[in-house]
Amino acid sequence: MFALKARTASRAETALPVSRLGAGLSVRGNLETEGELHIFGRVIGRIDAGILFVAPCGLVEGDVVAREVRVAGRLMGRIFALTVDVGDGANVQGRIFHHTVTVSRHARFEGRMPWRPPSFFENLDQLPETQP
Amino acid sequence: MPDPTPTQPPRPQAVAQPLSSPSSSGAPGTSVISKALKITGQLESSENIQIDGEIDGDVKGVHVKIGQSAKVKGTVSGEEVEIAGTVDGKIEARKVVLASTAHMSGDVIHQDIRIESGAYVDGHVRPENAKPKPAVASAFKPAVLEKTGTGAG
Repeated sequence: MFALKARTASRAETALPVSRLGAGLSVRGNLETEGELHIFGRVIGRIDAGILFVAPCGLVEGDVVAREVRVAGRLMGRIFALTVDVGDGANVQGRIFHHTVTVSRHARFEGRMPWRPPSFFENLDQLPETQP
Repeated sequence: MPDPTPTQPPRPQAVAQPLSSPSSSGAPGTSVISKALKITGQLESSENIQIDGEIDGDVKGVHVKIGQSAKVKGTVSGEEVEIAGTVDGKIEARKVVLASTAHMSGDVIHQDIRIESGAYVDGHVRPENAKPKPAVASAFKPAVLEKTGTGAG
């Protein structure tokens, strides 16, 4: 899976242009990028990214696999990332598989946060079967 | 007597940084699908879309701009569609612009079109306001049947 390469190549995404899904955009499907992805709109489906940022007006429904995830909006599903930041005003429901996680005081989180060693994130060819 | 206290350099202050800089990529409201992004699925937007990546699915927006490095497989529709990259599918727009680097395989339905020299187009290019003929024929047919029916009875 190419997203695994993205997580190991830590500097690859800094050279790549940022993708931005505007507030008026709805995507139903899968998104794959080795770079950075900013979501201001709505995504229903799986996301594989280097860095993912969900803006306060953004909504993601589905699984997210990334090296780093920052959520300020709404996310329903599972996150598989080394570093996760659930920011002010965020609303996350599901599971956060992480190595490092930060949850802001004004964030809302409902679900579980299983800790995993860094090696776990290098072997995510098949996502584990869990209930969100 | 001069003041003995030396002038100290200003101490660096901690400044709150936003999580990210969303304004760094494109105009506000415009979605940017960079060349590093691949989407498999449907995209629908009430705003403008700039595509430089790969899309396997249909795209709907207001002003859809398909860059030179972009590849789209599906129907692209909008008020205005500008193509400089590769499209394998269909275009439905009021205004269509095919740049010299465009590679279009499929039909183009438009009201206003501009094709630059060097653009590749393989498909039907037809204006949207052209009335299809079968609709007129089917409208006439029931009237004939009705007439023959009353004549027999």
